[in-house]
Amino acid sequence: MKKLTGITAAAVLLGSTGFAAAADGAVSLESGKDIDMVLLPKFLGILVFDQANEGAQEAHAELGNPGELLFVGPTPENSTAGQIEIMTTSATQGQGAVMLSNNAGDQISPSALAAQKAGTKVVTWDSPIPSGEGEDVFVAQVDFGSIGVVMADMAHSILDGAGEMAVLSATPDASNQNAWIASMKEVLESDEKYADITLVDVVYGDDQAEVSYNRALALVDQHPDLGVIMSPTTVGIQAAAKAMQDEGLCEQVRVSGLGLPSEMASYTMNGCAPEFALWDFRDLGYLTYYTAYGLASGQLTGELGETFTAGRMGDYTIEQDPGREGSKRILMGPFTVYNAENVEAAAK
Amino acid sequence: MLNRISPQTLRILALLAVLALVLLFFSTQVPNYLNGRLFNRISSSVAIMAIVACAQTLVILTRNIDLSIGSTLGFVAFATGSLITNNPDLGPALLLIYSICLGACFGVVNGALVAYASIPSIIVTLATMALFRSALVEYSDAKSITTGNLPTWLVDFPNYKVLTFGSYQLRASFLLAVVVVIIVHIALTRLRAARKIYAVGSNPEAAEMAGINSKRVVLTAFVLSGALAGLAGFMFLARFGTITVVAGLGFELKSVAASVVGGVNIFGGSGSVIGAFIGAVLVDLIDMSLVRWQLVSEFWREAVLGALILLSVAADATLMRRLVAWRVAREKARTQRSTQS
Repeated sequence: MKKLTGITAAAVLLGSTGFAAAADGAVSLESGKDIDMVLLPKFLGILVFDQANEGAQEAHAELGNPGELLFVGPTPENSTAGQIEIMTTSATQGQGAVMLSNNAGDQISPSALAAQKAGTKVVTWDSPIPSGEGEDVFVAQVDFGSIGVVMADMAHSILDGAGEMAVLSATPDASNQNAWIASMKEVLESDEKYADITLVDVVYGDDQAEVSYNRALALVDQHPDLGVIMSPTTVGIQAAAKAMQDEGLCEQVRVSGLGLPSEMASYTMNGCAPEFALWDFRDLGYLTYYTAYGLASGQLTGELGETFTAGRMGDYTIEQDPGREGSKRILMGPFTVYNAENVEAAAK
Repeated sequence: MLNRISPQTLRILALLAVLALVLLFFSTQVPNYLNGRLFNRISSSVAIMAIVACAQTLVILTRNIDLSIGSTLGFVAFATGSLITNNPDLGPALLLIYSICLGACFGVVNGALVAYASIPSIIVTLATMALFRSALVEYSDAKSITTGNLPTWLVDFPNYKVLTFGSYQLRASFLLAVVVVIIVHIALTRLRAARKIYAVGSNPEAAEMAGINSKRVVLTAFVLSGALAGLAGFMFLARFGTITVVAGLGFELKSVAASVVGGVNIFGGSGSVIGAFIGAVLVDLIDMSLVRWQLVSEFWREAVLGALILLSVAADATLMRRLVAWRVAREKARTQRSTQS
């Protein structure tokens, strides 16, 4: 009984903060609406997407949605076609919303547009639809422009201000990675600080350990003066670090990029990957769920400037996406830079 | 001298010639190419594919194909990784046996369906390729195996330097692959039971007539192939440390390519695992060299690789035909000479 009162008190407390926020113009979402939703990752079997699902499930329970939250995705070898198929099926099934981490580039647009026509809201997260066609809003983990700055800064600190770097990306179709690389290139060119850093190559490891491993070694062979491999994908960064460690190249070539602390801790401690960054995928899933729930239940209109309260995470506003003209985004941020000092604590 | 060499050996000589040509070509294109580093890179990366190609060859020899081999490898790599993560004290021998047995179990599924349910292998393994991969997605529960959780003996094993000549290193993984290929080769050429694989592949009806239980032979080939794929899964785990559900993706087609380039007849009954081994080296060499060739962009590499595979098969076939024709001509000349005198 005591426990129950505790929960009620917490609920009242939560409700009251939500109400207070609503007073400053933020929409407080009403819970208990019956909406079926689909969380669609790039493909199944990658830890970060599972973390996003945990966040979404948390929000699902919190909002007391009697509908179903499905976590479905294509198998890895069938990512693009599978995503399009799931999008189409979701529309036919009359799902309230599809939350998509897009791995199909603009090829997903026709099916996403059809889904919207059928009344399904399409909220992208992690990786948007490049053209914005067929997308209601994109929940951006961090500002895509700022990822460019962070990657350039990590390269700058690892290279001590001067040297060669190469990028080992995921698939050539991954719109998030492509946007980050583009923003990094822009930063490198526009800021005097990075004048002595040269980007010598961009290669793709297809988010597969063995392909990424071999590409990393090829980079070292091709560019004898290479100082850092920047890999904006959790699979690539690990494979590259392992390759450098196996071949005893860590002194010569360092690895950096976006990685999971639990997977990167040993490489950070032994110096192969002294610095890398990431954001919280659980929070990303949680925020995405709130956004999709609000839109699908009609409580949010999806207009620019609309502000709402996303449970424990606070208030968020729908704004113009600076990287994609005419598209809307909700910015989560920030992200954490990991190094020898904080990686072990985060890995636990 | 050429008269005494068997067609099999001739084929291998032709392959080696193609290999040398490819090396020669890329050494003019890629700076700093022909050296110990290239040998180390190729030898450590080909070790896994060599075993997979060897496994694929066993199946192809019986007139079948195994498209599920990549999924089998991926599943075994993941399951082995998860076993050792949860029981870090397990010894190498037990772990190795676990991988091989698990792989063999997948082989039993394929083999039983092909041999006893009489479904064409391309259909069975196409289905099991998806089934095994989905089973892995389900089993993995979206976790991945990470290097940090693996014991050091496992992670260090593939790169253990057995012998070093200057910058050339003979690493444990490559040595293991070579030993496996040689054992399988000797078994296939010397063992009576293993010769049945050739018999069934070259003419199933005749093999039946000769009293060979061809169903059992096909099943055995699939089981052995699965066991080897399991071994390859073990090596995959040791080499990459990080295993996600995409592990081994695409290995099925690469292994078929390696076998075919290595002169294994896709219609069964002829070919050798030594050929498949050299085929694997050739495909890997081409792939690795293309990555380092500035002229070819990321997006064209697959196409160029495909074209080069066709070219090397064609070159190999032409060389073979020339050699055989030349031999026949010499033979004829000799018999003519002897009848004249």
